[in-house]
Amino acid sequence: MDSGLVPPGLTYLADNIISRQNILGVTREQSARWAEGLGLPKGVETVFFAGCGYQYSAQLEVLMSLARGIDKSVIGAELPMRFARFQKKLGLNLPEIYSRVLARGGGSEAKPLAAAVRVLRRLGIEPGYLAEDEPCCGAPLYHAGLQTRFAENARRAYGTLKSFGVKRVIGIVPYCTNALYHLFPRYVADYDLEVKHFLEVVAGKIGSLQLRFPRKVRVTYHDPCQLVRFLKIVDEPRRILRAIENIELVEPDWTRAEWATCCGGGGGFEAVFPELSQVLGSNRAAELLETGADIIVTHCPGCVMQLKEGVRELKGEGVEVLDLAQVLDMAMVT
Amino acid sequence: MKKTSDFKSYKKEIMEAARDDRLRLALTRAIKSFRANVKNALEKFPHTVDLAQEVVRIKEKSIPQMEELARRAVAAIEENNGRGYIAGTAEEALKIIADLVGTGKVVVKGKTMTGEEIGLREHLEAKGNEVYETDLGEFIIQKMGSRPMHITSPAIHVPREDVARLFSKVLGQGITEESGITEMVAAAREYLRDKFFQADIGISGANVVAAETGTLFIIENEGNVRLSTSVPPVHIALVGMEKLVPTISDAFKVAEVTWRYANYTIPSYVSLISGPSKTGDIEKVTTYGAHGPKEFHVIFLDGGRTRLAKHPRLMEALYCLRCGACLYECPVFGVTAGHFGDKYFAGIGAVWAAIVNEDPEKAASIAYTCLTCGRCKQRCPVDIDIPEMIIELRKLLAEGE
Repeated sequence: MDSGLVPPGLTYLADNIISRQNILGVTREQSARWAEGLGLPKGVETVFFAGCGYQYSAQLEVLMSLARGIDKSVIGAELPMRFARFQKKLGLNLPEIYSRVLARGGGSEAKPLAAAVRVLRRLGIEPGYLAEDEPCCGAPLYHAGLQTRFAENARRAYGTLKSFGVKRVIGIVPYCTNALYHLFPRYVADYDLEVKHFLEVVAGKIGSLQLRFPRKVRVTYHDPCQLVRFLKIVDEPRRILRAIENIELVEPDWTRAEWATCCGGGGGFEAVFPELSQVLGSNRAAELLETGADIIVTHCPGCVMQLKEGVRELKGEGVEVLDLAQVLDMAMVT
Repeated sequence: MKKTSDFKSYKKEIMEAARDDRLRLALTRAIKSFRANVKNALEKFPHTVDLAQEVVRIKEKSIPQMEELARRAVAAIEENNGRGYIAGTAEEALKIIADLVGTGKVVVKGKTMTGEEIGLREHLEAKGNEVYETDLGEFIIQKMGSRPMHITSPAIHVPREDVARLFSKVLGQGITEESGITEMVAAAREYLRDKFFQADIGISGANVVAAETGTLFIIENEGNVRLSTSVPPVHIALVGMEKLVPTISDAFKVAEVTWRYANYTIPSYVSLISGPSKTGDIEKVTTYGAHGPKEFHVIFLDGGRTRLAKHPRLMEALYCLRCGACLYECPVFGVTAGHFGDKYFAGIGAVWAAIVNEDPEKAASIAYTCLTCGRCKQRCPVDIDIPEMIIELRKLLAEGE
């Protein structure tokens, strides 16, 4: 797979997916910790597909801030990204170290996942979850141009899902959901999983709920690229936000819905251009802050990370970045 | 394909651009005004969206038969008493044009991206000619010793204050760093005025060409193309073969969609040129070179285009009208301008670098700078799926054919 033309940041992610079934190369047990105590069963037909992004969001944040620091220094990010592969061979696994450091904080980083599960349950859906057996969708392989590896991974992942009797998947991470929905059928013969995104499921049943956000807020919504332009989920998040009492939806003039600007964290770009990705994140945050919103809501672990960093950089005092699943969860509690 | 990548030096260039405040200032202004203009143009002429779909069908029909269309266009042009040429490679095109121009000549040039692609100006200068870029953006670039950073607005990366500083040095004419845009435009006009009339040769590109009549459609606003193609005694046009469509009515459709998405309700000028200037006013005897050029030469360049046309997915790159609209929607282009690119820019530029210029290192660098966010596709009048093309290209680069 090393043609020499694939940037090192991407080969790093690809190696991890192939060897450890997740983008960071950490153990699967760690990733499933967020679901402890939720009692999500295996072996049911409808499963919640948690994906890498939210499960590792805290680790990724640390990794990104490290990568950015180095990218801005004279060394450049290529060296450490490439170096990480040698470290692994030497038994010095950087991501393991981050994870161990971060594990002390408990699973708090994966809040949107637990929130999403609570929301589904309130809507009368009891999804299963494959925990440490959940396969990696491998989307970064596809985006890196490593289609042969992606295809192998997709067939294996499909096999795993089938072996647990899965028939329907509720996806939440935009990249994973798009991979399962649009990409898997291209590479897996007789692909028969019914894939829906969390927001489609929720928007279809939202009418049955009384929703009220704990305080009066102005909210803007950032459309993740994969959700809005690839999965075409445009109205659902808006319908959901408008259904919540105490929330006023305010959007940018031009850069909204299909015209939303990418947060700069797409398709592994952040691993190749850590510093440039930060510039783009802060540009997007600026467009959203112009709406005067108190809360920037989005629905993608990458976007959340990028926008948080952007708001911090722009000193957007008091402006919060929240995942839509969390907002929904908060609106249901009251 | 070669196995090494110059990714590091490319990344350095990209990052320097991203940290450049002047560049950022110029781009922010340009993007804001472009978006407002294109919105206005499409609201005023809402039929453009459906017309663009017709253009997709015209392109689907034209691209697979580019070579045949080029032969038809050459025949039509010769029937009109012009000369037509088909150049297989950039080198062939340069040789044809250099032989026509010779040496020690004064050349005025309209903007041609195909000319940029093959390094036409530099080549003619090296042959001992004086070449003047007459498009204001290109003129600025030429005087700066820079390269174009956008296909329709080559000097998009230069804020007005920097242009004033440049003009005050190279043009004089009372331009100071405080001069306004109107004064700068007037100074460029003044400087270039005589050049049009001194020129031995005028060079242009074309936005679309009707094969059946050999008619070039050239869209512009400044009037420099009108002067360059009608005042000098010789007009040479260089056109990429992907610009060919079968009929003149097809060409009108392509032209209208091109200018509308390039943010114009209607451009000031659209020149339709099919042959040299002629008159029959004395005894009905056709005589060439009345008020316009006596000679008219059109070079159709393949330069990898027919090779690209055979690729099932990447061939879509040839549908590109070069309206430049996608660039204004690209978040990376918004901070780097054409540094994110090669001869052509942003995502689609990677395909041209890989297939047309056969430069896999450059292509990989550009391809991996694309976010695959898809907003370019959203804007594209002819629905070119740039993210899909980029991923396909990455596959070719990473895994081979």
